[in-house]
Amino acid sequence: MAVLVRASGLTKKYGDLTAVDGISFEIEEGECFGFLGPNGAGKTTTVRMIHCVSPVTAGTLTVGGLPSGIDNRALKMSTGVIPQEINLDNDLTVEENLIVFARFFDIRRREAKTRLAELLRFVELEAKAGAKISELSTGMKRRLLIARALLNRPRLIVADEPTTGLDPQARHLIWQRLRQLKAQGATLVLTTQYMEEAQQLCDRIVVMHQGRILREGKPGRLVEELIGREVVEVRLPPEDDPRVLAHLAGTPCTHERVGDTIYFYCQDGHALMRKLLELDLPNTLNRPATLEDVFLKLTGRSLHE
Amino acid sequence: MSLSYRVAYVFLRNLYSYKRFVLPTFLVSLVEPLFYLVTFGVGMGAYMGAFGGRSYLDFLVPGVLASAAMMAASFECLYGTFVKIVHEKVYDSLVATPVSADEAVAGDIAWGSFRGLISGTLMMIVALFMGVAPAAVWRALVLVVFMVFIGVLFGSLAMIITSISPSFDFFSYYTELVITPMLFFSGVFFPLDNFPGWMKVLAEFLPLTHAVRISRAVYTGQPQPGVGWGLLGLVVLAVVVFAVSVRMMRKRLIK
Repeated sequence: MAVLVRASGLTKKYGDLTAVDGISFEIEEGECFGFLGPNGAGKTTTVRMIHCVSPVTAGTLTVGGLPSGIDNRALKMSTGVIPQEINLDNDLTVEENLIVFARFFDIRRREAKTRLAELLRFVELEAKAGAKISELSTGMKRRLLIARALLNRPRLIVADEPTTGLDPQARHLIWQRLRQLKAQGATLVLTTQYMEEAQQLCDRIVVMHQGRILREGKPGRLVEELIGREVVEVRLPPEDDPRVLAHLAGTPCTHERVGDTIYFYCQDGHALMRKLLELDLPNTLNRPATLEDVFLKLTGRSLHE
Repeated sequence: MSLSYRVAYVFLRNLYSYKRFVLPTFLVSLVEPLFYLVTFGVGMGAYMGAFGGRSYLDFLVPGVLASAAMMAASFECLYGTFVKIVHEKVYDSLVATPVSADEAVAGDIAWGSFRGLISGTLMMIVALFMGVAPAAVWRALVLVVFMVFIGVLFGSLAMIITSISPSFDFFSYYTELVITPMLFFSGVFFPLDNFPGWMKVLAEFLPLTHAVRISRAVYTGQPQPGVGWGLLGLVVLAVVVFAVSVRMMRKRLIK
């Protein structure tokens, strides 16, 4: 597949602060590519450079072969942005928001009207065309942001934490729509802190931390490589550790203590579970390994603020 | 600077949003000049006798016209733009489209100028009803063009303040320490003839002084000294201030 976005040694500095620290990646046409990372990892800064609203400090970044830059109208013309912050125009109605925004892309009123009818149906907001923005719920606002991002029929869609603050219904609807867009051939660039979201949507992800890329790969593959298939969580006071670990010696699992819990990472948890049962511990959980385990392992369990 | 026809799109966005505020803003734009004309013009004018052979109201109207355009454009580019940057995030969504930051700023200055034109025109209509008309119809049209120009000049000046303003409070330095004093030192309400020499010199450095002088010359048809140079100076100033304001706003918007 053709590469749509190519970054090499991409760096962004704000004064003394290095937000993105010489990262390299390639995003292929038609895939969904996710940037994962804790707050301040540099995800948003990276995608803002991709969609040409933030100048690159150093390194190269091309989209469709063209260098990204704040004055690159051609790229902005074919990119749709679903921003993290809800920046709908509160002075305008739902319909006016879309008509005015379409104009920014040289789309005339009549054409805009056809497209907005179609898009409002797509995000299930057709009943709200005349509503004020203040009358919409957060979920509706986020859906309207999606409709707005699609007005120019973008080839590249950048979604920066598109489901923050939504209830499960709204979140699943948005996932459905984003998958639909991908199926129609759009390339999707996503940032998220929700591991489930990444697993649901992304073909490939990178985990970022402090401006750097720690790992890159397919979500399932990363879980297997870094964690295994299963995780066993045992909640138990630290003074019991020696006794329990001695009993479990010989099982092919690695372990890690975090706070009140020991985590065992296994390819197959059966052997470990059999031995654990013998100890008759009250608080034991055997579950599949997830991307969240990868995320925590790579970025550490302390708070990032 | 990256400017194109897209400036008009930003103006259009403002026009859409304005629909909801047309009535209140028209009322304010009407009441303010009425207040000046009635209190100063009619009330105080009664004590002033003839002003160079004409009534005080004749003197006052062209000055208030220029200052009304200045006020409206300034406030729009201070408070209006600030709300769009910080509170409504309109600029954030704009710069992600093919509309450039420069165009967004220019569109807002154009919008401020339009608001100045509305204020000034409403004020001229009020003056007509009070019997103070421009000396000829073509003069009214020249005044319309001139009000647009005043709007661009003072809108751009205000935009520079907005580009460095951390909060709303910051604007009062500009309005209280620059705009309001200028109103009283620029010959809007009384001629500058009786000021001491140094104050006269100072007044020559205020853009509003020249704007008022030009407005008065056009409105009344009576030639005023130094109008040509004044206009040239204002045009140069407007070009410089516009360029600086766009540059400074770009710095604020693109990070």
